[in-house]
Amino acid sequence: MSYSPALPLEGPSPVEGRERRDQRNDRWFRLGVMSCALFVLLALLGAALSMLWGAREAFGTFGWHFIWSSDWDPVQRKFGALVPIYGTLVTAAIAMIMAVPVSFGIAIFLTEIAPSWLRGSVSAAVELLAGIPSIIYGMWGLFVFVPFMASYVSPWLDEHVGPLPIIGKLFQGPPIGLGMLSAGIVLGIMVIPFIASVMREVFLTVPVQLKESAYAVGNTTWEVVWDVVLPYTRSAVVGGIFLGLGRALGETMAVTFVLGNAHLLSASLLEPGNSIAATIANEFTEADSSIYLSSLIALGFLLFVVTFIVLAIARLMLNRLARREGAST
Amino acid sequence: MNDASLPIDSPPRGDHPRDTSALWRRRQVKNALAKTFATGATLFGLFWLAWILWTTLVNGLPALKWTLFTQMTPPPGSDGGLLNAFAGSFIMSGIAILIGTPIGVAAGTYLSEYARHSRLGAMIRFVNDILLSAPSIVIGLFIYELLVRPMGHFSAIAGAIALSFIVLPVVVRTTDEMLQLVPTTMREAALALGVPQWKVVRQVLYRAALSGILTGVLLALARISGETAPLLFTALNNQYWTLHLSEPMANVPVVIFQYAMSPYKFWHSLAWAGAFVVTMLVLLLGLISRSLFLGKRKES
Amino acid sequence: MNHMAPITPGNSMNHLVGSDARPPHAVSVSLQRFNPPARDAGDAVANHAPSKISVRQLNFYYGSARVLKDIHLSIAEKRVTSLIGPSGCGKSTLLRVFNRIYAIYPRQRAEGEVLLDGHNVLDPRFSINRLRTKVGMVFQKPVPFPMSIHDNIAYAIRHYENLRRAELESRVEEALRSAALWDEVKDKLHHSALGLSGGQQQRLCIARATALKPDVLLLDEPTSALDPISTAKVEQLIDELKSRYTVLIVTHNMQQAARVADFTGFMFLGELIEFGTTKEIFTKPAKKQTEDYITGRFG
Repeated sequence: MSYSPALPLEGPSPVEGRERRDQRNDRWFRLGVMSCALFVLLALLGAALSMLWGAREAFGTFGWHFIWSSDWDPVQRKFGALVPIYGTLVTAAIAMIMAVPVSFGIAIFLTEIAPSWLRGSVSAAVELLAGIPSIIYGMWGLFVFVPFMASYVSPWLDEHVGPLPIIGKLFQGPPIGLGMLSAGIVLGIMVIPFIASVMREVFLTVPVQLKESAYAVGNTTWEVVWDVVLPYTRSAVVGGIFLGLGRALGETMAVTFVLGNAHLLSASLLEPGNSIAATIANEFTEADSSIYLSSLIALGFLLFVVTFIVLAIARLMLNRLARREGAST
Repeated sequence: MNDASLPIDSPPRGDHPRDTSALWRRRQVKNALAKTFATGATLFGLFWLAWILWTTLVNGLPALKWTLFTQMTPPPGSDGGLLNAFAGSFIMSGIAILIGTPIGVAAGTYLSEYARHSRLGAMIRFVNDILLSAPSIVIGLFIYELLVRPMGHFSAIAGAIALSFIVLPVVVRTTDEMLQLVPTTMREAALALGVPQWKVVRQVLYRAALSGILTGVLLALARISGETAPLLFTALNNQYWTLHLSEPMANVPVVIFQYAMSPYKFWHSLAWAGAFVVTMLVLLLGLISRSLFLGKRKES
Repeated sequence: MNHMAPITPGNSMNHLVGSDARPPHAVSVSLQRFNPPARDAGDAVANHAPSKISVRQLNFYYGSARVLKDIHLSIAEKRVTSLIGPSGCGKSTLLRVFNRIYAIYPRQRAEGEVLLDGHNVLDPRFSINRLRTKVGMVFQKPVPFPMSIHDNIAYAIRHYENLRRAELESRVEEALRSAALWDEVKDKLHHSALGLSGGQQQRLCIARATALKPDVLLLDEPTSALDPISTAKVEQLIDELKSRYTVLIVTHNMQQAARVADFTGFMFLGELIEFGTTKEIFTKPAKKQTEDYITGRFG
């Protein structure tokens, strides 16, 4: 059955029914996609609340004391977050100290220095490498890097840097290879491709004309970077660094293999330690009491809060550049 | 004769003050140092990564035997394969993609088509980006509280759901971005025909953004292939073969974790084999999605 | 064209319409048919052709900025009406009111009346989708859907009409023929539309816009993205289309307006400065602003 070609403008007709159906379908569709979008909000909220719920026993028992207590006694059932927090912060700091300058250098190399035929393949390599799962880094760390550290680096540091005043304390310890320094380095290596590709993308948003006019008046490459690129992308660079920091804080596998899983609070980087993620990963299945489990989840909650703040700052910084560009980063 | 008397673009002359002045030399030295550092940094970074890939290759390749794909994970001290782990990862990743993709595409559609500049849209994008970069261990604990505790035991379905929460933000983001890339004129042209919006989105826009959306799915798949932490608290592991979603299920990353930390030689080599396969898979998925995405970029 | 030469009857018009690419009979027909000249948009049309669309007191806003001011206009049925003016004058905005395509943008709104066959299409109760089946639109940049050529045309038909396969095929053929595209694509109907050339894609878009047999066709600078040969083909098409559709075309190319349009409206800064037959506007414009634009004193 075919309709007349000129669809009538008004009056009851099959077109009316279609019109109502179309509007109804449009409404359902919009409702459907909106609820899926709201689900994203729900997911984050759910994660936060569920961990808070699981941690309630620990927080209820230990209170604020939990955060700065260095207890960790499954037998006596006394737990504190200080050692894992300390380890998380120290390993992340080492990782960032190592990764930020290197990533920065890579990003400059890829945007200003490398010949154009090289840029594509090296950028591709960096991006692909950023996707390698952290457990690979962990395994390499355990089987290759740790023995290397144990045989060469640790003894050297212990012998030559250890006796020095002040910073010597950081480098005294047994040559077992496991420890916060090793974990920090492995973590740093892992974060490098990630931060490098973020920085590279940020640098690429600088308008070509801006750089070309700087070159045209005789600026050297370094001066263009320092005086043009960096000021332009300042907030985004900070955002990228925070993004990397968020990654480093939350990393589990790259660190678990190499940190040593020891609940010791020591000044030396050569000593084994623990991080929040590593503690949870290593001890979750062994938790034999509900307070033990709750403490582990409480650790997870603390990690969540810290990374949330770091990632929120990162996002805000990156958005500032995106707003200037009128694009999304 | 001062430095300004020569035009700035005249060729360097060895005898002119402009080209030999201390300032000039300092600038050149700084520039050279910076370039050296940047190149050095690149070599440094690539060196470590090459070493890691090399190690994976050298240890994983010899461990690749037929038995890897035909035998189950062995008890401590003996040799075997990773069949149940591969199967488990395959099943759980598959379910995660099946759950996460439709929700993610729908959410991305909402952001692009109905909330592109609204405050709600901005908030959802913000939260989504945080979810995207959040430590996966947090997701694992979330699902543990949500599913494993009430169920009373670890299960494959809990693992799949945990993975789907990692898939979700990736797909949301790529769908949102890919749909926004579709030119507004195409939207207007379809709507100008009197076709309702939901049909325009489904029949025209999705088709136009298809390769981009697929790229997002592949990226999500690459990501969950290597994730250990979320599975550690949900699906855990299973020494035996099972297809029951309500039971713990073997999976490659957790097997690698357990085997690598163990003292047994056979388990170590199996761990390396698993690591090698996972790395190859991730690199392959990355290459495919890059070629898909770059093909799409060239088209638009 | 000598921009400084004073306009005398017949002089500037010859310049403007002298290009070889124009359909040879169109302009002389319009010159013959419409006399005496009238100045009011309503008069111009009412005397010579029934009015398909009447615009009354139309104001258009982007947020709080008023971009169309008190527009009064009558569009003649089965004629070609063009809107000309410098960039930013509002001609595209006005065009986009007629199928309410602006409605997808929350910050844009229209006030006033636009009567299509006597019904006010700006009335919120008037169904937008049905309006769009009566008023088709072709955009500046050709946008074929990412489907086969056949499916591009069939797309809207499938939504609105329940046709048997044979009928659908004949409708598709009819639409493609009316856009002078059938011969070029009849062997590759199921190939992707993205494989067509720019000019072919635009003709496909025209065919697609006529698929539902609307009454009115809105053309928003349809040839500005095309090469001269494709432009000529499309202009020829417009001449053929007006036997079946009321055509409203926005163009920044005055010569094109002179070539294809029966009626022309000159717009400036959101106002309709002058409206009349194309001949009048280009040979004896009543307003100074019109004359200045036509002679190229500003652009």
